[in-house]
Amino acid sequence: MELTLTSRILYSLLGLFIVFNYGLLQSGVMRKIVARVAGRYGIPVYQSYFDIIKNLAKRSQITHGIMFYLGPIFRLGGGIGLFLFMPMIFGSIYFKNFSFTGDIVLLMYFQFFGMLGMALGAGEAGHPNSTIGISRGLAQFTTVEISFTLAIIAIAIQYQTLSVYNIVAAQQGGILHWTLFQNPVATLAGMLSFLGIMRHAPFNVVMAPQEIPIGPPTEYHSTYLGMLQSNRAILHIVESALFMNLFFGGATNWIEFIVKTFFIYFTTVFVGVVFPRYRVDQSVAWFVKVPLVIGVLGVIYATYIN
Amino acid sequence: MNITTIVHITGFALILIGFWGMLTQKNMIKIILGLAIVETGVQLVMVAFGFIDGRTAPILDSAVELSKASSLIVDPVPQALVLTAIVIGVAVNALMLTFVIRLYQQKKSLSINDYKDLKW
Amino acid sequence: MVNPIYIIAILLGLGFLLPSINKAGIKVTVTIFFLGIIAVTAISYQWLSAFLIDGQQAVQIFTAGFKPPMSINLQMGLNEAVLITLINFGALLGAIYSFKYFAENGIQALVVFLLFILGMNGLVLTRDIFNIFVFLEITSIATYILIGMDLRLKSLSAGFKYMIAGGIASVFLLLGIILIYSKTGTLNLDGMIAAVSAAGSSQILFVGVFILIFSVVIELKVFPANGWALDVYEGSDTGISAMISATSATALLFVLYKVLPLASIDLTKMIVIIGVLTFVVSNLFAIMQKSTNRLLGYSSIGQIGLLVFVIASKDILGDNFEKIFFGLLISHFLAKAGLFWLSGIVKAEKIQDWVKIKKHPILIFMFGTFILALMGFPPFPSLAAKWSLVMILAENGSFLWISLVILASILEVLYLFRWFGYILKLEDSEEKVEKPQHQLHPVYIVTLLLYVAGFYITRSFDAGLSINFIPLAFVGILFLIDFLPVYIKNTLVMIAVSYYGYILVPGLDTLKLIFALIFLVGGILTFIPGYSVKGKRIGFYPVAAMMYVGLIGLIEAETFFQFFFAWEIMTAGSYFLILRGKRSMSHALSYILFSAGGAYLILFGFALSGAETGSILLTSLSEVHIYATMVFILLALGFMTKTASIGLHIWLPGAHAEAESDVSPMVSAVLLKAGVFGLIILFIAMRNNDVSNLFYILGWVGAITALLGNLIASFQEDAKKLLAYSSIAQLGYILFALAIMTNVGWLAAIWYSITHFLYKALLFLAVGAIVLKLKTHKMYEMGGLIKKMPMSFISVLIGIIALSGVPPLAGFGGKWLLYNAFILKGWYFQGAIIAFSGVVAFLYLFKLIYSIFLGPIKDKHRKMTEVSVWYLIPQYLIIATLMVLSSKPRMILEKVGLYFKEILPENTVVWNGDAASTFVNGKLFGVWDPFYIMIIVCVMFAVLLGFLLFASRKATKVEMFNIVYSAERPESPQTAHFSYNMFSHYRKALGFLVLPLVTNFWNFITDLFHSSSDFFRKFYNGNAQVYIMHIIGFVVFFYFILNGGIF
Repeated sequence: MELTLTSRILYSLLGLFIVFNYGLLQSGVMRKIVARVAGRYGIPVYQSYFDIIKNLAKRSQITHGIMFYLGPIFRLGGGIGLFLFMPMIFGSIYFKNFSFTGDIVLLMYFQFFGMLGMALGAGEAGHPNSTIGISRGLAQFTTVEISFTLAIIAIAIQYQTLSVYNIVAAQQGGILHWTLFQNPVATLAGMLSFLGIMRHAPFNVVMAPQEIPIGPPTEYHSTYLGMLQSNRAILHIVESALFMNLFFGGATNWIEFIVKTFFIYFTTVFVGVVFPRYRVDQSVAWFVKVPLVIGVLGVIYATYIN
Repeated sequence: MNITTIVHITGFALILIGFWGMLTQKNMIKIILGLAIVETGVQLVMVAFGFIDGRTAPILDSAVELSKASSLIVDPVPQALVLTAIVIGVAVNALMLTFVIRLYQQKKSLSINDYKDLKW
Repeated sequence: MVNPIYIIAILLGLGFLLPSINKAGIKVTVTIFFLGIIAVTAISYQWLSAFLIDGQQAVQIFTAGFKPPMSINLQMGLNEAVLITLINFGALLGAIYSFKYFAENGIQALVVFLLFILGMNGLVLTRDIFNIFVFLEITSIATYILIGMDLRLKSLSAGFKYMIAGGIASVFLLLGIILIYSKTGTLNLDGMIAAVSAAGSSQILFVGVFILIFSVVIELKVFPANGWALDVYEGSDTGISAMISATSATALLFVLYKVLPLASIDLTKMIVIIGVLTFVVSNLFAIMQKSTNRLLGYSSIGQIGLLVFVIASKDILGDNFEKIFFGLLISHFLAKAGLFWLSGIVKAEKIQDWVKIKKHPILIFMFGTFILALMGFPPFPSLAAKWSLVMILAENGSFLWISLVILASILEVLYLFRWFGYILKLEDSEEKVEKPQHQLHPVYIVTLLLYVAGFYITRSFDAGLSINFIPLAFVGILFLIDFLPVYIKNTLVMIAVSYYGYILVPGLDTLKLIFALIFLVGGILTFIPGYSVKGKRIGFYPVAAMMYVGLIGLIEAETFFQFFFAWEIMTAGSYFLILRGKRSMSHALSYILFSAGGAYLILFGFALSGAETGSILLTSLSEVHIYATMVFILLALGFMTKTASIGLHIWLPGAHAEAESDVSPMVSAVLLKAGVFGLIILFIAMRNNDVSNLFYILGWVGAITALLGNLIASFQEDAKKLLAYSSIAQLGYILFALAIMTNVGWLAAIWYSITHFLYKALLFLAVGAIVLKLKTHKMYEMGGLIKKMPMSFISVLIGIIALSGVPPLAGFGGKWLLYNAFILKGWYFQGAIIAFSGVVAFLYLFKLIYSIFLGPIKDKHRKMTEVSVWYLIPQYLIIATLMVLSSKPRMILEKVGLYFKEILPENTVVWNGDAASTFVNGKLFGVWDPFYIMIIVCVMFAVLLGFLLFASRKATKVEMFNIVYSAERPESPQTAHFSYNMFSHYRKALGFLVLPLVTNFWNFITDLFHSSSDFFRKFYNGNAQVYIMHIIGFVVFFYFILNGGIF
């Protein structure tokens, strides 16, 4: 049974709404966890809602120009787009979104949609620190992609498909069918790059609160910032969902979805709490060493062991 | 050793002497003389090649009967060649000497080593 | 038919009569002098036309009423007729040119000149060996006098050296004659040849022939016995040098041709070696030469060396010998005479001083004609001749000779084009060029003749018949109408390109159609900005048209020769285009060196293929088996010099970056595709020839090229250089995709070719226009231009999104196809490199757009306005095309897929509506629905934009610096523009990958050639005695080698 276009759109919006709220709550939970680890009391878990509402309600607002204006649109569009091109719940005709229009390559490249627009928007604000942050972010992201790409190649070899939906389908039938167990090496490579994609410590010099007091997020304010925060909530979940789909057998219902994505995302928080931060040149160099080797091994594993 | 051989040897000796002179002498006039000696040597060799022992000069006069001429006289062609070569050689040598004079007028030197401005 | 004996009679008679006639006044004398030369020229021409048109047979002319050997006979055949026509006409022009020089030196000069002509005619016509000696001496003595006549120290000392060398040569000649005569008893050449071949082995005969031929060879100034000759070229009056290089060398070459049948096979081989050696060494020595006339001397000697080689290879060359010989000879003859004459007009001692003709387009045009003719570019006779030569050598397996000829030709390209670069690009000098009309006319005439000869001689070859000269004629017309204003010429060129496309396109298959459209549409789009140029833009349109003529010629080519011909036209045209940039002297030179090198490799490859299959069709490459690997490597390398694959890329950044603003897109977006087209032709033809290992290697080369190109691009500060390196990387993708050799791989390659053409043209046009306006290439000197040039900003934005491969624009299609291709092929690691380099591209793309358009605006740009509308029009046409292609790629890709299906059946793309998918074993592998994606992204974007417009409707516009930076408002834009060395951290981490190893390698190679040239040319130390030593040593050395039976 195929959905009509209208109902597909509506179901997608419903899914988006779920993911959005879940994302906001999850980020609250994570911040709370980090605070507790640091011995602080921390924020309430619904703090993110307040932040967004506050930002949308700001009275004064400025703009630096058209690209500055478009930046948050690109950014949020990037997040929502990723959501739309990603199958969320396996086996559900309602929540596979528009994943039939493309495959994993589309998802990989659509990640850049938001990044690029955001980079340009912040660039127009004229603040050098924004640009410094962006240059670091881009530089780090390039090498993060290496092990991610290798992991994806390994998966493609293993399952003989690039379609995310089919990749999930191939992992059904028990926990041992997950890529995690089918190709643990590639999974490790993928998860290492996930740390970089999520930009938690040790790879968060891009955000770098200490060295660069006002990076892109602070240059943006009010509605713009609200959009960026919404995006962050969505993006974190969607990225986690991507890794869930690729390595952890996907999800067949929303509960499974929430549990899996929570733990996937939690790994980055966990690592971030434990490890100190890299400089960019260090993280770039790191990603072309260990994760690269692991990624290569993952591909070899997929080619010869299976 | 017949006369042909002697002339041959003399000719080639002259050629070698001439080359030796051209290669060792710094004075341009001597170099020209060296060349002249080489030419002389070559001319001797040429004559020697045309010479046939016991025959006479290739001039058709009373001493040579026209009907037997071809068996009595030496080969006339090399001799004709030598004549031409001598004439040309003289002309070239003369021309070379004028060049040397002109060069000397400009630089007051006859040494070949002083005319190396054009090189590489 | 006038008996040729009258030529000799007229010249000799006039020589004696002139002094007496002189009593009637100088005017009468001069008139008679010229009438005499005209008369002999007319006689020779009459014979020539009789042979060519009426099919006259060769005739023997006997003197004194006897037959040989009793008398001296002359022979008049086609060869002789051609040569004496050349010589006499050349002498006529030379006399006109040198008239002033003669006049200064009195009536004697005229007499001597007549004798000079007489000697040369005699040398060509006579069949008597001793006569050769006499005529040789007449020529030589006349030459000595002509050289020394002006009494300058230079010419006298050169003349003296010449006389010494000539003296020795004539001594050898005499010795040789007498030795042979003593054994054969005849002086008649034909008799001698018959007798020598009948005589069997005889030491005297052996020595005689050896020494005779070597004396001729010494007169031909072969290496190493030629130090004197260089001094003569340098020291003499240019008019005389021209005659020595052109006319007397011609006569002497023919003497060699006549006496060479006497030689044994070993001796002939030796002459072959000496000829090639001379060609190579002269050109090697020439690269360090700065003195104009000496440089021409080296070049002249080199060309004569090549001709000696050709003569000595006569038996191998067979029926084509005459065409090859005359093709090369006539090019050399006309071009070298022209160059010497030009040198006399310009009066520039050093080649750098030639810059003073910069403002004289006609002189530059003629100079360009001459050097192109020397190097064998189309349409000159030397091209077809060199082509045939290499083809036949390859058939005979003489690969060493081919390599050496190619090496020397590249060296020739180096110094001649460097010289050309000096003329156009060095600092203008204050000196004026006087242009004496009587001296210019001969140069005009030889220039014209070169084109005429090019047409006829090229067509005289079988291969040349298929060449379409009409487009070239159009280029010629553009040269003629170059005085017209830009808008007329621009319109004309665009109409011509469109019209040609209109004729061409209907008959093409899919592959050719795509490339034809890239070339033609690219041509039209990149000509549009031309309207923004005011004035005449002298020299631009002919060479741009030349490049496009070449490109279209590639599409039309069916045979090897057509392809090579077009390739060379394209190369020459693009070189001249690139050279037009302000600082492009060295870059254009390295471009032409790599291109010429590549072209010669292609030539070699074609020759090998032709040698094996005997076919001249491009498709015959598929039948090559024995040489398959070699042919493939040569051709692939040749094409990869154009696609600038890593290792062969160093010419590209400078050439593309320093070219003019509207030339950069021509050479980057359009021209590079010629290499791709070549590779495709090659790969299609040779896909089954057991070269799969090479495809594998090329795959790696492509991947590494892509990575390094993108990395280096990220570290550029020069906007156009950045784009240039980006092109290298993009062409790396294409090479990689082609090497995959599956259907989807080739779809990726074609898709990349098309989209790279579009977005690189877009970016180069946009950036080029800005660079033109801001007068700087440095990105850190720009900034904040989005408010001043919003239209350009949108162009660049679209350009970078398309290039980066971010959906929904067309670039993503390339990425998707590539991923499918390399995973299905199993090239995982190469593919990972490709994927990684795709991400690296974001670095430089961000840097490009940010540094130019975003950030604070510099104070001096506050009044800047949008770029010229003529640059914007093509940009927006491209954007429209990109948008259509981005949503509906099926239009093109489906046809391409079908076209390649027969050739490459593996891994096809299946279309369903607008969606593309690939399958493995019937299961879905990858899927891509560009139209749907486009719709989703657009709708989403519109919704969000609507929301933001509503939510931030009250936003206040602020000025620059409404920011706080270290608790302070920055005041100067420089402090807030983070652009210079933007990715320093990246360089710190990965900089080891971009060490300039390749550049260092090529620098090492060029240094090696230059320093060895500089070292070895000291061999000619200017001392006449050393030169004597060279001559004697030369003869002795080769005598022992020959006698020792080493050959």
